[in-house]
Amino acid sequence: MMDIAIYSLVDDMVSKAGTEGVVEYWLRVGESYAERMGKEAYVGWPAFNVAMKDGRTSLTVEGDVNVQTDLAITDKDGDVIGYVYALKVCPMAPTMGRYISRIGPIPDSDTDVADSYNNRVRDSAVSNYCITHQKFREVAANNITVAKQALECLHLANKGMTGEVKMVQENLARINVDERHIKSILRNASCVFALIVKGKSAGEEIID
Amino acid sequence: MAENIESNPFVDVSVFLFFEDISDKQGVEGFTNYMVGQAESLAKSVPEEEYQTWDDFANAVINGESVLSSFEHIGQISKYGFVTKVCPFSKAIREYIKRIGNFNPVHMEATDHYNHTIQPSAAHSACMMHQTYRKEVAKRIKIGGKPLQYAQIAAKAYTGKIALPPESWKKVLLEKAGISETQGFMEMRENSCLYLLYVEE
Repeated sequence: MMDIAIYSLVDDMVSKAGTEGVVEYWLRVGESYAERMGKEAYVGWPAFNVAMKDGRTSLTVEGDVNVQTDLAITDKDGDVIGYVYALKVCPMAPTMGRYISRIGPIPDSDTDVADSYNNRVRDSAVSNYCITHQKFREVAANNITVAKQALECLHLANKGMTGEVKMVQENLARINVDERHIKSILRNASCVFALIVKGKSAGEEIID
Repeated sequence: MAENIESNPFVDVSVFLFFEDISDKQGVEGFTNYMVGQAESLAKSVPEEEYQTWDDFANAVINGESVLSSFEHIGQISKYGFVTKVCPFSKAIREYIKRIGNFNPVHMEATDHYNHTIQPSAAHSACMMHQTYRKEVAKRIKIGGKPLQYAQIAAKAYTGKIALPPESWKKVLLEKAGISETQGFMEMRENSCLYLLYVEE
C-alpha cells in the first residue's frame, strides 16, 4: 500500500510545491537512499557481475538484472572498463498495474513531474518515479568499487508503460554502443544502463 | 481474494524516505499532514460502492472485492468486527530495516503527533496513512442506502507495541464489535489490526 501512496502524494505535492519542488524531493530521496545503503567492494568484474546476477548488490535490490556480458565496454587499449545491464521489470510496474485496476487512470501529475525533470535536468524520465530511481543508481554506483576503482552509472535507455522509449544519446556516445543494440535489449527489459570505471570512456571502435 | 497486493519493496522504501525528506523541510507536523492528506486524496480517487445488505458488503470485503480490501486481506470475526492478519506495510518496514537499518526516529515522532492531535490509534507512521484511507473510503461505501462507518480498535507495530484507544472509547468500541477485551487481545495475537465496520441502525 505504501507504493500506491506515491501517486496521491505527488498529486498533493505538485499543488503545494510545484513540479520543480517534487523533482527536487525525488532527487534527494534517490541520493539519500543510495548513501544509506553503504559501500561495496569487489575484486574484479567477474565477481561484481556474479553479485549483480545473484541480486547481492545495492544496484539489484530493485529487481532482477540481465548482465549483458556480450556488451563489454573497452577503452582504447582494449581493457574492459565496464558492462551494460538491463533491468527486466520496472519496480513501478506492479504499482502502476494495481493503481489502474483498483483506483483508475494514473494522475496527470505523474507525467507533469516527469516532463519538468526532462526539460530541466535530463530527458530520461518516462514516469515521475524514474527521477529517484535513476538518481539512486548513479549515487549507489559511486559507492561501489571494482578492482579498487570507483564505478559510474550511465543511464542509457528506458521504456514507459505505453511503450514510449527514452535514450540518453550522450551516454551512448560515451560508451560507443549503437542505439540499435540498446533497442533490442529494451524489447525484453524496462531499463538499460552501463556501469563503467569512473571517468573512463570507450575507445573509438564501435561495439558490434 | 484481491488479485495482487504485492509491490516492489524498492519503491516502498523510497516512499518512506520521501516522507523523511518532507520532515527535514517541514517538521513532524508537515510529515503528518502529508501522510494524512495523501491518504485522503487516494481514498477520494477510488470508485464508490453500494451494497443492498450487510452480508453482501461483508462478503465483498473478505473476498477482496471491495475497495476496502484493495491493499490487504481482511477477515471478519463478528458481525461488525474485522481484522487484518498481515499489515500491508510490514513488508516495506522489513525491507527498510534490512536495507537501511533502524527506522528514522521521525516516524515515531510523527506517530506520537498523530496520536495526540488526531486520534490515539496509530502504532507506526504507516498507520496514519492506512487508518485515514479506511476512514475516507468508508464514506464512499453505502449499504442499504446508509454510509459505512469505520472505527479503529487496535493496531500492532512491528516492535510488538499495540496502540489502543483510551479506556472509555475502548469499552464502547468492543461492545459495538460484540467481543470482550480478552477476545480482542486474543485477536491481536494473531492479527495486526482490529477495527469496526458498521452502519448506524
